[in-house]
Amino acid sequence: MSRQAPLVIDNGTGYTKMGFAGNSEPSFVFPTVIATHQSNSAGSSNSAPTTGRAPPPIAGKPSHLASKRGIEDLDFFIGDEAVANSKTYSLHYPIRHGQIENWDHMERFWEQSIFKYLRAEPEDHYVLLTEPPLNPPENRENTAEIMFESFNVQGLYIAVQAVLALAASWTSSKVNERTLTGVVIDSGDGVTHTIPVAEGYVIGSSIKHIPIAGRDITYFVQQLLRDRGESQQIPPEDQLRVAEKIKEDYTYVCQDIVKEFKKYDADPYKYFARFSGEHSVTGRKYDLDVGYERFLAPEIFFNPEIYSSDFLTPLPEVVDTVIQTSPIDVRRGLYKNIVLSGGSTMFKDFGKRLQRDVKAIVDGRIAGSETRSGSHIKSTGVEVNVISHKRQRYAVWYGGSLMASTPEFFNVSHSRENYQEYGPSLVRRFSVFGSAS
Amino acid sequence: MRLFGQRFRRELAIFGMSLIRSFALIQPSGRAAKSPSTRLIQASDKREEKGSKMILLESHSVIINDVLTDRFEKPSRADIQFVDYDNVRFHLSTPSSKTQLLLSMSIQCWPDLVKYGARDHLQHEYAGYLLDEANTEPEYNVSLLIDLDKLPESPEAKLDLISSLAHLKSTAMSSPFISAFNEQSSLQASYKEPAGAQLADQAPAEAKGDLKIVKYREEEAIYIQASHDRVTVIFSTVFKEETDRVYGRVFLQEFVDARRLQSLQNAPQVRYSNREPPLEIRHLPGLKNGEDWGYVTFVLSPRHFANPAQALATINRIQLFRDYLHYHIKCSKAYMHSRMRYRVAEFLKVLNRAKPEVASEKKTASGRTFRTR
Repeated sequence: MSRQAPLVIDNGTGYTKMGFAGNSEPSFVFPTVIATHQSNSAGSSNSAPTTGRAPPPIAGKPSHLASKRGIEDLDFFIGDEAVANSKTYSLHYPIRHGQIENWDHMERFWEQSIFKYLRAEPEDHYVLLTEPPLNPPENRENTAEIMFESFNVQGLYIAVQAVLALAASWTSSKVNERTLTGVVIDSGDGVTHTIPVAEGYVIGSSIKHIPIAGRDITYFVQQLLRDRGESQQIPPEDQLRVAEKIKEDYTYVCQDIVKEFKKYDADPYKYFARFSGEHSVTGRKYDLDVGYERFLAPEIFFNPEIYSSDFLTPLPEVVDTVIQTSPIDVRRGLYKNIVLSGGSTMFKDFGKRLQRDVKAIVDGRIAGSETRSGSHIKSTGVEVNVISHKRQRYAVWYGGSLMASTPEFFNVSHSRENYQEYGPSLVRRFSVFGSAS
Repeated sequence: MRLFGQRFRRELAIFGMSLIRSFALIQPSGRAAKSPSTRLIQASDKREEKGSKMILLESHSVIINDVLTDRFEKPSRADIQFVDYDNVRFHLSTPSSKTQLLLSMSIQCWPDLVKYGARDHLQHEYAGYLLDEANTEPEYNVSLLIDLDKLPESPEAKLDLISSLAHLKSTAMSSPFISAFNEQSSLQASYKEPAGAQLADQAPAEAKGDLKIVKYREEEAIYIQASHDRVTVIFSTVFKEETDRVYGRVFLQEFVDARRLQSLQNAPQVRYSNREPPLEIRHLPGLKNGEDWGYVTFVLSPRHFANPAQALATINRIQLFRDYLHYHIKCSKAYMHSRMRYRVAEFLKVLNRAKPEVASEKKTASGRTFRTR
C-alpha cells in the first residue's frame, strides 16, 4: 500500500497552518482559537492553580435531562468558525507565546482540525508538528502522548520552527548549498524572534526577541494616518482593517529615509498612492491618500525610536548581537545565511536593507580591529547574506511540507512501535535530518 | 477502565445516541406531526440539528469546496494533493492553463465500485466534466476537468456545482448503495406474499439480491445486500489499538441500545456482533473473527430511501459511519483525558496542601537555639 501523505500542522500563537506534505501552500490557515460553551473554565491549569477551574461536564446526574447532558465537550468550534460564533461561545487561545498552555483545548482543537478540516484518519498518517525554540521537553512529551494515544498516529515528528524555516529557504535561487546553519528572523503578528541555528540545533542562549511585529506596524500605520488627518475619511470601526490593508498592499522598505522624504516632497503626485474603500455597513465610498507611511511603516524595524519608546535597538543590531554571542566557529556560517520567515518580513526590499545594514556593522567592526592591530593583519572579510524567497509567508509550514515529503522523513520520525516500546520520553531524543551531510 | 465505570458507559451511550439520532432525522418529511408528543420530538430534533453540527462529520470535502470557491472567482495555478477518509487521495491541478482545473481522485475500492456501476453513476452526476478512462490522470481512478471559462452563469448554479464536486467521494461511494436500493424496489415489486406466510413455521424463501462487497479499507469492508423488504448494510471493523477496541465495543453496544428510545424509533435497526460475523455474510470465505473484529449491521427499510433526497442523505450518513465511529472514540478519549488532567490537578492540590512543615531550627538574635525536649 502506498503511504498516505503526512499531515503537516504548524500551530502558531496567532494562526494555525495545516495541510498535507508535498504541497506548496497550507490547505488551511485559520486562527488558533477554540470556542467552547463553558465560560468559567477559561484559566489554564497553571495560570490559576489556586482557584481551580470548573471540572469538565459530567454526564452522570440521575435526572431525566441526563440524556441531554454530556455532549457539551463536543460543542465547540475552531478557527474562523469559532470567531464567527464568538457572540454565543467563549473564545480561548490554547497557545500562548508559541507554547501550548491548555492541553484540554489543544487536544480538542487537533481533534477537529484533523477530522473535520483535513478529513484524514490519523491512524493512516504520519504527522509533523512544530514547536517553538526552547520548548520544554515536557511539552513535547505531552504532545506525543496526545498524538499517539488519542489519535493513534502512525508516526510523529516534532520539528523546531526555526529549522523548518531554514529548510524552506532552500527554494531560493540564492542558496546553493543545503545547510541547516543560519539565523532565522521570524516575524509574525505578535513578536519577532531572531534565532541562530547551527547544524540543525538551535543555540538557545543567543535567541533574542523583539517586541515589534506585524500588529505594531498596523498600529503605526493607523497612527500615521491619524496624524495626517486622513483617518477622518475612514469609518472608525474599519480603521484597523484599512491600516492593515495599506500595510499589506502599499508599503516597502526604503534604502535611505531622508532621500525618500525628499523624493515624496518633490513630486507627491508620483509617489502618493490612493486607497479607495467602502463603508462596510452603509456602502459609502471613500478615498484617502497613502503617503509617507508607505516607507515609514516597515522602518520601525530599523529605527524603532519612531514608534516605540522602550525598545530602541534596530533589527540589524539585534541580528549582529545574536551572531556575536554564538560560538565563534559558527559565526561565519550564520552571517552567510540569514533567513526571513513570517508575514511581517514580506515587505519589498526588506532583505536588501537588512543585508546592507548588517554588512555595514560587520565591516565597521573589521575595519576597527584592523586599525587597532596597526594594520598588520588584513581580514578576508565576512560574507553577509540575507535570503528572502517566495514561500516566506508560510515558511515554517512549507519547510515542514518539504521535509515530510522526503523518504527520509519516515526513518527519522518516531514510529508508533517505538512509542509503545519506550513511552513518551522517546520524543526527548531529537533527531535532525535534511542536512547536507 | 473500571475506574470510570458507569459514567464512562453513559458517556458513550450519549455519543451513540447522537449518531443514531442523526439517522433518525432522516424520516419521511411528508408525515406531519400529529400527536403533541411527536411534535415535541421533532422540535427537539430541530434543536439538536444545530447542536449536532459539530458532532457530525460533513460529507463533503472542505478543501475542494474552499479551493473551488476561490478559483471560480479568480483562476490561478494550483497543484494540491490531499486526502479524504479511507485511503482516498485527491489531486487538484492546472496542467495546461489556469482555467483548466483537473480534479483527480484515487479511491482504494475502485475495482469494487466499478462493478456496481460507479463510472456510469459518476457519468450521470458529472456529465460534461468526467474524463473517460483513457484521459484519466495516471495513478488516479477518476478525473474531472472543469473549464473555468465555461462555468454556469448564475451564482446558485455555481454553488451547486461546487457542492456536487465537493461530494465527489461520496458520490462515487454511493453507487453500490443506489444499485442495492434499486434492486430492493424491483424485488419488492416481484415479491408475492406466499399464501401461508402468516404461519411461523412456514417461513417463505426470501428473495435476495446479490451481496455487494466494497473493500473500502485495507482490512475492512462494507457488505450490502438487498432483499424484498429491506437493505442490509454490514460494516466490518477492526481496531488496531487495545484501548480503542474497548471503547469501540462499549460504544457500539450502547449504540445498539440507544435505539430503544422512543424518539429514535425511525432510525434504522442496528445490530452489533463482536468476533462472530453475522449470518448474512458468514458463508463468505476469508472473514476474520478475532477479538479485535466487530460487525455492525444496519437494516435500512424502504422508508429510509423512499425518495432520492432521502436516499442520498442516508447514503451520505452511512458511508461516514466508520469515520464517525473512530472520530467519536477519539473524542471520548480526549474527554477522558481532560477529566484525568482535572483529577491530577486536584490530587496535586491535595499533595501540595499535605506538605509537612519543615522543622527548621529557630535561632534567637544572639544565635542561641531552642530545643524541645
